[in-house]
Amino acid sequence: MNALLGLALADFRERARRPAYLLMLISAIGLGLLAVPPTGAHWSVLVIGGFRGRYTSDYVGMVTALTSALWLTLVGFYLVRDAVTRDERTGVGQLLAASPLRTPVYLAGKLLSNVMVLGSMVVVLAATALVLLLLRGESRTVDPIALALPFALVALPMLVCTAALAMLFETTPVLRGGLGNVLWFFVWMIGAIGGQSPHAPFGGLGLRPVTLPAGASQDVGNDVGLGLMYVDEPLRTFDWPGLRLDAGFLGGRLALTAVAIAVALLPALWFHRFDRPARAGRAAAGPEPRTDYKGLPRTEPRRGGTGPRLLAGELRILVRGAPLWWWLGAGALALGGLAAPPGAVLALVWIWPVLLWSRLGTQPAASGADAILAAYPAPRGRVVAEWCAGALLAAAIGAGAAARMAFAGDLPGLAAWTAGAAFIPALALALGALTGAPRVFQAVYTILWYLLINDTSALDFMGALRDHGRLTGPSPALWAVAAAAGVATALARTAWRETRR
Amino acid sequence: MLELLDITKVYKGGKRAVDGLTLRLGPGLLGLLGPNGAGKSSLLRIAATVTRPTSGRVRFDGADAIARPGELRRALGYLPQDFGVYPNLSAVEFLAYLAAVKGLSARSARARIDELLELVNLTHAARRPLGGYSGGMLRRVGIAQTLLADPRVVIVDEPTAGLDPEERVRFRNLLSDLAADRLVLLSTHIVSDVESVATRIAVVKGGRIRLDGTPEELLRGVAGHVWEVTVPPEAAAGLQQRLLTTRAVRTPAGVRLRVLATSRPLADAAPAAPDLEDAYVGAVHR
Repeated sequence: MNALLGLALADFRERARRPAYLLMLISAIGLGLLAVPPTGAHWSVLVIGGFRGRYTSDYVGMVTALTSALWLTLVGFYLVRDAVTRDERTGVGQLLAASPLRTPVYLAGKLLSNVMVLGSMVVVLAATALVLLLLRGESRTVDPIALALPFALVALPMLVCTAALAMLFETTPVLRGGLGNVLWFFVWMIGAIGGQSPHAPFGGLGLRPVTLPAGASQDVGNDVGLGLMYVDEPLRTFDWPGLRLDAGFLGGRLALTAVAIAVALLPALWFHRFDRPARAGRAAAGPEPRTDYKGLPRTEPRRGGTGPRLLAGELRILVRGAPLWWWLGAGALALGGLAAPPGAVLALVWIWPVLLWSRLGTQPAASGADAILAAYPAPRGRVVAEWCAGALLAAAIGAGAAARMAFAGDLPGLAAWTAGAAFIPALALALGALTGAPRVFQAVYTILWYLLINDTSALDFMGALRDHGRLTGPSPALWAVAAAAGVATALARTAWRETRR
Repeated sequence: MLELLDITKVYKGGKRAVDGLTLRLGPGLLGLLGPNGAGKSSLLRIAATVTRPTSGRVRFDGADAIARPGELRRALGYLPQDFGVYPNLSAVEFLAYLAAVKGLSARSARARIDELLELVNLTHAARRPLGGYSGGMLRRVGIAQTLLADPRVVIVDEPTAGLDPEERVRFRNLLSDLAADRLVLLSTHIVSDVESVATRIAVVKGGRIRLDGTPEELLRGVAGHVWEVTVPPEAAAGLQQRLLTTRAVRTPAGVRLRVLATSRPLADAAPAAPDLEDAYVGAVHR
């Protein structure tokens, strides 16, 4: 038990002492403000048959707890899913692997640390809820138990679940990398929709205790909606009776927590315990051949044009290491663009390289090559070359679709295609440069792409959505400007680093 | 050529890594010696334009290299203490990329990469992904990239870490050749790395230069202060606490201590010829 607590505490301290942790806590305050809007607001995260509860301790506690159960599960996964990877990256894993620490204890410690990180956000959210309860002034009574209970019974089990799934993804070979980041969005979406059903296992997201106002079902319907909804008029209020505890609900939440813990410990069956080979290639076999020292190189270095070679280098850095199946899929999609009309095919084509694009802006730091590159000239030129490499990748994979549009004389489609090929790597580069991690782009792009294929034409950055052949999205010029803004952001970040070096 | 003038570096939390240090450097090899945490790496990072000093000036050929680091970077070869590589690229591809960043023409880059890989004894592994290289092989890739553009200024931080004895000898020969007409700034805490090749040695401690001069000058500074004495093993620990000991070697006759002292420390102590390790220890514990 001491080892478990020690491990969890050390891991939590390591995370809590990073500037990003403060940002996480501040974002929790933002989430609270979203959940308990002012009286005249035109949004709500919880609509109960056209009503919302009066801001009492019970209701404010419940609505903020449900908000965290819904949104923190999405974001929280990305925030905590580097507990094991960090140990691998820093080499701490090697030290732990050589210690008597048992694998289930290690996994449990990491789970506890994940829960502590997410739990601290919930504590901040609960404090925000208390402040908002007093600020909104719809109830003068503060009942701390009523306020806190939903956090313990609704939010916490969901966060344990998120923490456990982050562990499962991190320790399972296929899910460990960027694919897991992309997949999580869909897992979360299924959970978020399915978890609102009254028949969801273990009580789902915890909506079951949220009941309609007495006698309201006849004229306002039975809808209880959780999300972020626009309302034309500020919602009418009713007195929500509070969280009624029954054995079924309590048992469901306990069972959910227990299953989550089991899920986190399950990888003990296959966890590598940091016994992993070198990342690429094979170690040299046998002794090295020896050559005699013959003095310094004789060739005079000469200056010359470097643009294409710099781009080729960036392109190699970007795509090298992608497995054969990826290349086969990319080839098939590029050809598929020729066969099928642009639209859905283009959307399919441009989700395929998401993991490669997500490397943009992060590679030098992730590999440690930045220690060398920091003393090299032309940092801005490298940023532009990196973006060009990402755009070339987009163009290569989308070449089939572009060729088809060119043959058909679809100039607006080609313009949208060009803007999309420029915008995607620019977004990746900007997010990579700002955050230093590929996860943010993986999550943001997946959400953007999902909204796009669900006909959100306002976000059609590639010209995939059409109405009778006409593009329905914003002008390609707008996306070209966004692309330029993305590259400018990466350049500004580089310049800022130069001044802060 | 390169001037570090009144350089101070204070990190967040108030840690003063470099404290008003001045160095004026020309062709030759300056060995920067100092214990761990002395500020050597911080100083080298400042000289290599990787880190800005909190105060002070860095001038390269008379120009401000802090505000406009481009000129120095084009003339610089820098090998940091810790660095990574792109694991999926081969040594040739990695060096070709860096040559492009340095602005080398394609033809001269190709030729120099071949020559450099031979120089660091990596021709046989040149086309293998770097992810499969051993630590020593990666170190040699680092050395090769340092020399890509035939730099006028070579800055290397603990360059021999991870190299086997044969490679260390090869590397020392290389440094010696480089220092003939270039500035080589080498940081280490291993005296033997610099004693045979340095034209000048500076001992750094607490972010300040404690000793600066040619190896001969440093040796003259401790001449007559080095003594050797063999004592029983049970007395050795106590004496090491009392006397400034630069070496202790267990022999069949007891423990032979090498001691720094202005006068004969023990009745049976014999004077010994000083070496650079004595000068270094003397400077660090002064």
